[in-house]
Amino acid sequence: MKKTAVALAILTASVAAPVWADVTINGFASIKAGMTTGSDESLYGYDKDIDFKNESLFALQIKSDLGEKLSITGQLVGRGSKDFDVGFEWAFLTYQLADNMHINAGRLRTPFFKFSDFKDVGYAYDWLRVPQGVYGLGFDNIEGISFYRTAQLGSVESTLQVVAGGYDGKATISGVEVDAEIKNILGLSWELTQGNLSGRAAYLVGKMTAAAEQVSLAPNFTIGNLFTTLNSIGRNDIVKSVDIQREDGSFLGLGLAYDDGDWILVSEYTKVKVKDTFIADQNNYYVSVGKRFNSFTPYLSYEVEDNNSRDQIYLPYQGVLPPQLLVPLQGLVRTQERDAKTWNLGLRYDFHPAAAFKAQYSSEKNDTTGQRAGVVAVGVDLVF
Amino acid sequence: MIKKLIIIAATVFALPALAQIAVIVHPSNSANLTNEELVRIYTGRSNAFNAVNLAETVPLRAQFDEKGVGRTSAQLKAHWSKLVFTGKGTPPTELASEQEVLNFVASNPQAIGYISAASVSDAVKVALTIN
Repeated sequence: MKKTAVALAILTASVAAPVWADVTINGFASIKAGMTTGSDESLYGYDKDIDFKNESLFALQIKSDLGEKLSITGQLVGRGSKDFDVGFEWAFLTYQLADNMHINAGRLRTPFFKFSDFKDVGYAYDWLRVPQGVYGLGFDNIEGISFYRTAQLGSVESTLQVVAGGYDGKATISGVEVDAEIKNILGLSWELTQGNLSGRAAYLVGKMTAAAEQVSLAPNFTIGNLFTTLNSIGRNDIVKSVDIQREDGSFLGLGLAYDDGDWILVSEYTKVKVKDTFIADQNNYYVSVGKRFNSFTPYLSYEVEDNNSRDQIYLPYQGVLPPQLLVPLQGLVRTQERDAKTWNLGLRYDFHPAAAFKAQYSSEKNDTTGQRAGVVAVGVDLVF
Repeated sequence: MIKKLIIIAATVFALPALAQIAVIVHPSNSANLTNEELVRIYTGRSNAFNAVNLAETVPLRAQFDEKGVGRTSAQLKAHWSKLVFTGKGTPPTELASEQEVLNFVASNPQAIGYISAASVSDAVKVALTIN
């Protein structure tokens, strides 16, 4: 509530200040509805009852050009999944160093993926949602600084971005949202485009901490309880190999895309690692193909998630640790295992100059649990 | 059958009605543009000119998007929304009519715009003609 009031005050102030600055307001919105295809399924925040709120969002961007190469931009986003509470997801100043070079500082989007920067702007791409098997990482934003440079290398266009900063927010561990931070984030993303073809690579590192201690492993037994007990019997070494305290995290992302105006092919592969924690090593990818028929763009995509639990954490202690400690430790490690494959079939229909209708069916098969879940969603993405 | 022929005839004769588009710059500008440079300017990859666009309501706009920039208006809007909402670029200012584009380019040495070839006057220089 307070946040909204502040946001409105800022909005009003910006609009009322044309005397000093050139202010532009743009926005985007998505109104989406979806439900699972089975009655006992849940996927992407949907269940068997049709829901219009979960993936809907509304955003306003205010950009003020202060002249002398300096501008300031704020993006207010209200998400249905967060009750449309409005918050600044981007808030940064831009200083133009040269025609093809600028620096952004403030709250930005971390350039993990090809579509990271505009994944909320559904109008900018064909899918109803970005492939969750790859994009479900979290840690969307960064508070810091970003250097952005475009260049023409012969017939190749180069886009280079270097970021530095930190993340302070939430992370989801075993389905529980906990406080998390990543300090000393340093990353680089580089995209090369030649004609219809483009390739991208991103590499980021940071020191991750997450308050996983509150997550329950069994009734009345949390991860924190497990750590305390292990410490009390002198097994701090095990705690150290499991807990998430300033651990080295790394992210590698590779992408390839082809767009000749008719056919659109996109693929991304990501590899995520957080050393000395119970977090599984994640190797995920997706492949998507679409074809434009005037205003209609049908597409098909396939996602693979391969998260390997770090069984080497508990395996040496079988028969060494008492079962009341080994079982929860093994549980903690093993619940990170995830093998899932998802098919998506969808359609974009540009029915209006500033709006696109989308429909998508997604079917996820979790090979680790043997469960299957399907979601049908439709919606309209618009920009204004 | 006759109906079909009439429709075909009408289509054929309608084609020349699609005007040639003249990409115009200030007379003091010696630039001779290639189509690739034009695409770079109108997709935000080059800031060499102060580009202006026609509003979406002007029919010539859709023609220019397809023939000049090589993408549909919807694709271009999607492209620009990627830049606008990530702080990477601002689309060319949109003007309401060809006359406004002509006036703007005629009075700004760094400007670039486009109008139908038939509307070109001495106040501007044609840097590229799109058929």
